[in-house]
Amino acid sequence: MNRACAIATGLLVLAAQPGLTSAGTATSTSKTSAKSPGAADISVCAACHGAHGEGSAAAHVPRIAGQSAEYLLKQLDDYASGARESAIMANFAKPLSAEQRGQLAQRYAAMSAPLLSEPAANPAQLARGHQLAYQGDELIRVQACDSCHGPDGSGVLHAAPYLAGQSSEYIGGALKAFRAGSRKNDAGELMRSVAGHLADADIAAVSAYFANEGSATRP
Amino acid sequence: MAQRLKEVDVVVIGVGMVGTMVSKELAAAGYKVVGLERGQTRETVPEFQSPGIHDELRFDVRKALMQDNTREPVSFRNQASQVALPVRRWESFLPGTGLGGSMVHWNGQTYRFHANDFQLATRTRERYGKNFLDSDLTIQDWGVTYDELEPHYDRFEYLLGTSGKAGNIKGQIQPGGDPHESPRSREYPTRPQKEHYQGALFRKAAGGMGYHPFPQPSSNLSEPYTNPEGLKLNTCVFCGFCERYACEHYAKAVPQTVLLPVLLADPNFELRTGCQVQRINLDSTKKHATGVTYIDAVGREFEQPAALVITCTFAINNIRMLLLSGIGKPYDPASGQGVVGRNYAYQTMSTVASFFDEDVIINPFMASGASGTLINDFAGDNFDHSGLGFIGGAFIGAVNTNGRPIQYHPTPPGTPPWGKAWKQAVLKHYNHTLMFSLHGSSQAARQNYADLDPTYRDAWGQPLLRITFDFPQNDLRMAEYVTSKAVEIGKAMGAKQVAGSPRKGPYTITQYQTTHNTGGTVMGESPRTSVVNRYLQSWDVPNVFVIGASNYPQNASWNPTCTLGALTYWAIDALKNKYLKNPGRLVSA
Repeated sequence: MNRACAIATGLLVLAAQPGLTSAGTATSTSKTSAKSPGAADISVCAACHGAHGEGSAAAHVPRIAGQSAEYLLKQLDDYASGARESAIMANFAKPLSAEQRGQLAQRYAAMSAPLLSEPAANPAQLARGHQLAYQGDELIRVQACDSCHGPDGSGVLHAAPYLAGQSSEYIGGALKAFRAGSRKNDAGELMRSVAGHLADADIAAVSAYFANEGSATRP
Repeated sequence: MAQRLKEVDVVVIGVGMVGTMVSKELAAAGYKVVGLERGQTRETVPEFQSPGIHDELRFDVRKALMQDNTREPVSFRNQASQVALPVRRWESFLPGTGLGGSMVHWNGQTYRFHANDFQLATRTRERYGKNFLDSDLTIQDWGVTYDELEPHYDRFEYLLGTSGKAGNIKGQIQPGGDPHESPRSREYPTRPQKEHYQGALFRKAAGGMGYHPFPQPSSNLSEPYTNPEGLKLNTCVFCGFCERYACEHYAKAVPQTVLLPVLLADPNFELRTGCQVQRINLDSTKKHATGVTYIDAVGREFEQPAALVITCTFAINNIRMLLLSGIGKPYDPASGQGVVGRNYAYQTMSTVASFFDEDVIINPFMASGASGTLINDFAGDNFDHSGLGFIGGAFIGAVNTNGRPIQYHPTPPGTPPWGKAWKQAVLKHYNHTLMFSLHGSSQAARQNYADLDPTYRDAWGQPLLRITFDFPQNDLRMAEYVTSKAVEIGKAMGAKQVAGSPRKGPYTITQYQTTHNTGGTVMGESPRTSVVNRYLQSWDVPNVFVIGASNYPQNASWNPTCTLGALTYWAIDALKNKYLKNPGRLVSA
């Protein structure tokens, strides 16, 4: 699925959900259990992010299952405020109340999902990815990704999202957006600083590495 | 038998911040420079990366980044009547080793001294009369003024990218900065660090009492910054592992992040690591240096001839290098004669702990080495000392740098030092205690000095440096007074219990205080009372320059690094524009 197609799908889903047509009104028509954390309606999210939050590798749609609630909430808030730009996600996030955004974040943080299959990466690429993730590279002044994103990119609560098991398409897209400055909701410009030193080949390598790193560390 | 190497223009001993700055400037000016570093090469990647760099046991308790004192300790005693013993485990102060030097493990606190500090003896006499001082104090003017250093302070801060808020730009007081500071020519290169909750509580209380809180100037940066050398630094993440550690994020200004890559790319510079310099060699006149002798990591001895020798080692090691080389007359406390080792000084640190109820959440771990808020109302000569019986002062600040699990355990007075009751108290108070640091000046005194130990030797057979030091009564009275003021601020914050701990004597070598050792090769106006002239050139051997906090005639109320950076650029300016154009004495004795 290409990006334009994903946008179209998202809009269709939005239009098809009466519960999300006006600001701040969650519906009880959700298929999700009322006993789930937050009890929020996730069917809209599921259309792109998958029934279990597994994401969609081909559509730059991230895996969000088991991601930290703080991180997810910040992204929803930033989509709503425009601090993180995305026409699709702004459409979904803006109508939600702060409470609903919090519930959604909690809900996905508590989920687990199977890993998606990833395009095959060559060993040299994975080795370069491992170097950047685990050690960094003095020549381009890039510190190890794991310094903030935790051992093997498993994420650090309150601080940084997990990368292990995230789709390579999504990681690569995010790094390029930071590098280009089109994504700028990173605290202290930390990701823009790092991505600014990365060449396309480094971005491809580190994305492939983390995408293939998921099985041991993610639910 | 030493192997004699080809002569170079300049040999630099110690490749820390000062050595890097000097080497970079002289190599860029076309001189062949060799830098001799006793430790290892270290870079942000791989040596400083986490999680390894956050190993509190290795770096904090076991001092992994410090001078190897199984091979090269110092010996210590409080008074000349005692027998000094080697310090086999660093505690009171932590001299670093390796490429980048001690600055690799600094906190990034980047203060300027005030104009008054550079003319302390004159200004004290003018303001308080000539009989005000205790008779043991040997304070003196620096021979250089704040106005002369200002452009060099500015250059150093812009090299580091220091985050702060100016309080005085060209005489205009700036809201939000320190109104007591001496005029600076422009604003800091980057915005102040974010204020943590400790700082906010302190600001409210101190400001309410009429004091002047301001953000601590920090070289752990508040935002990305590209320095004039073209090197880019990142934003600090408040990880709480600055002092005693290295920064994995390229966010702390250290030689590796702000200058070394430029130096190492210069073909006029050659770095040699693992080189233990034994002495600076003199010719038969003892008035001219011919180079240095060093032993490399596998034990081979080399003589490196050079036209100019610059010793840039940690303060106490600069003293020792001159003593081992026979440069300058060693100080004799009995007669007061001699200069090398004279006016060794330190820092007079006190603390105030404010204990709150459990509804006040401090999160002490969320900090950087210089993210606090402080006041200078009781620092230096910013308050009237008439009738107080001491000179000097301290900044008072909520400048706590960390909440690391092994070493940070605030407990109220009366808590047992171990056992169940101690554990319960730590649990109760860890996240509800606010620590003030009182960073006090240290006046030079006749009885405090450094010389060569008559008994103990290092791994290469050379005498250790022997430090003889205790707090002068002047400084203990200062600590008592300023602590009483800080306790009032703690109470004004609404703390349930406030415990002031003014520094008491005797000085103990087994408790960490600061790594701000100063003096011993002091600068000044006369060869009778100083080792180097105002350009940091040896009075005795004009082709030897000595640069370090060892140049400070006494220590002021602030961390010494920024002043050392300014002095270094000041000396580089004299080297490039005066000495190297016409080698010889820059000041007639």
